[in-house]
Amino acid sequence: MKNSKNSLLAKHFSHIYIEKEIISHPITKIILDKFPNSVLVEIDNYKEVFSRPRQNYKLQEISKKLILAKKKGEFLYPGPPLCHDFGYNHFYYTSLIFNCIFSCDYCFLKGMYPSANIVIFVNIEDYFEEIDSVLKRHPLYLSVSYDTDIMALEKIVPFFSMFIEYATSRKDLTIEIRTKTADYEVLQSLKPSENVILAWTLSPQEIIEKFEHKTPSLSARLDAIKKAIENEWKVRLCFDPLLFTKNWDEIYLKFLNQVFEEVEPSKIVDISVGVFRIPKDYLKRMKRVFINEITLFPYEEDQNVCTYPYDLKKEMMDVFLSNLRKFVHQSKIFVI
Amino acid sequence: MIYLITAFYSEAKALIDHFGLKKLYEPSKFQIFSGDEILLIVSGEGILQAAIATTFALTKFGASDRCIALNIGICGAKEKKLSKGDVLLCNKIINHHSKKTFYPDILITHQMKEASLESFLHPVKKDTFFGEIEGDIVDMEGAGFFEAASSFLAPHNVQCIKIVYDFLAYEKIEPQEVTILVKQCMPFIENFINTLVDLNLKFCTNIFEEEKLRQIIEKLKSSLRLTASITFQLEKLLKSYIIRHENLPEEISEFFNVNVNSKKEGKQYFEKLKKLLIS
Ligand code: SF4
Repeated sequence: MKNSKNSLLAKHFSHIYIEKEIISHPITKIILDKFPNSVLVEIDNYKEVFSRPRQNYKLQEISKKLILAKKKGEFLYPGPPLCHDFGYNHFYYTSLIFNCIFSCDYCFLKGMYPSANIVIFVNIEDYFEEIDSVLKRHPLYLSVSYDTDIMALEKIVPFFSMFIEYATSRKDLTIEIRTKTADYEVLQSLKPSENVILAWTLSPQEIIEKFEHKTPSLSARLDAIKKAIENEWKVRLCFDPLLFTKNWDEIYLKFLNQVFEEVEPSKIVDISVGVFRIPKDYLKRMKRVFINEITLFPYEEDQNVCTYPYDLKKEMMDVFLSNLRKFVHQSKIFVI
Repeated sequence: MIYLITAFYSEAKALIDHFGLKKLYEPSKFQIFSGDEILLIVSGEGILQAAIATTFALTKFGASDRCIALNIGICGAKEKKLSKGDVLLCNKIINHHSKKTFYPDILITHQMKEASLESFLHPVKKDTFFGEIEGDIVDMEGAGFFEAASSFLAPHNVQCIKIVYDFLAYEKIEPQEVTILVKQCMPFIENFINTLVDLNLKFCTNIFEEEKLRQIIEKLKSSLRLTASITFQLEKLLKSYIIRHENLPEEISEFFNVNVNSKKEGKQYFEKLKKLLIS
């Protein structure tokens, strides 16, 4: 058979799958307005599409589809032990979106989900209601961007801004929004909030190019951070995950110098540091689909978590932390 | 392998002629035709027949990661916004009776319209059928084919292409007319098949690129202190393993960080590695 010379891949979001129940939800309308040329397919339940057997994650990553759904059941989950709690007693996370527009080789989502398609739960009002009811019982430290990058997706669905507005009016609520975006525009029209921590994950440019596909460059992220600080947003830096690669020590030292040449350490709320770690089962699933430096490394396993062998992990942390302390006081550094 | 499943010979005829397929005298209750990397099976009418024929073909002739299964045939359209002869790619397939729904993964560009297909156990004639029809088009095979094929293949490699024959008002199907309609749609069908084949070839292979393989060989060469001739042997072993398994064994990573103290020790590790690679 002849080979077609036509461009092969359907554009991202060429198809949008929508649960019938939320077809007329206002958030659905906002999203659909952004994709007038997409084919719309009605579904009964997002799992019919998201959880199909034998999906090819790698292929779906290059032609992602959107799935719009209604979240039912639980809205908040206790913070996982592999994540920092930053000293907060009531640490929870929530998932309004599954999957991400970026594609990091080390991302645990690749081992957690059967599909690379992006699921958006449009019923954000139900999340707010649940958070309000928890806030009646105790304060809450809530991470809202664990299973995605909610800020990077703001131009598709305005959850980031909605969460900021919501959190601003809730006294006992602190939300952390983790991101790798460099798009400052999404912050421009928003008022900085005391209750919101913008947590930027930073990596050396060499690491970004090798492992954090489609993400903004380090210098672009640093520019966004500087603007956020200038405009009085609370900013956390996440040096997490630290990755082992050739010349890692030189790479990370140069990186720390670059970061703190640009960012004034006293203006940072705090910093989190951790080496790459991943639940064993997720890694196993990732290995089936992706063969790369991350999945091929001979990790050590402890209590169903894979990470670098003890000596290597210790060396990486020691080298990194001793240099980080040259810029930032120990009290601001959280280690996992 | 590309599997084409049609209900009737009149649908198959245009495909047989276009791809130059030859009848395969394989003892089975189905008519089977084959050609260069293509196998066509005529299932007969009905959801169950389509499922049986699809399962038979994929079991008998094999289903690898890169196999494609297409159900091609005529359908009835619910609304007049479609025209006779329209060729449609189905983005949703509903079994009217079990209410099960199936969604092919449409990852490639194509020139067809898209529609949702609903499969029935009986012909749907609008004068006599008063139930609700959810799909844009109806047939008697798609859901059976899809449920069977998706037990073997990834959802981007299982697709239904339907051609509008009537508007739920037919009296009799004219075989010659059906063959002509399918023939007219061949450019769309062939283009779609080619693009899907390309997608699988370009992105669906785990075969290492030369550069990646070189890096792995270099890593093993230095960690196991291998001589040039053993490194050459290793390269051959790796390549043949990859060809066989389309991948390397997970356990290979254990050899990357070994630090051997002598060439003898390195040779011992190489023997272990060899055992692994010839498995
Ligand atoms: S940015 Fe975060 S969520 Fe997105 S792919 Fe990378 S690690 Fe995963």
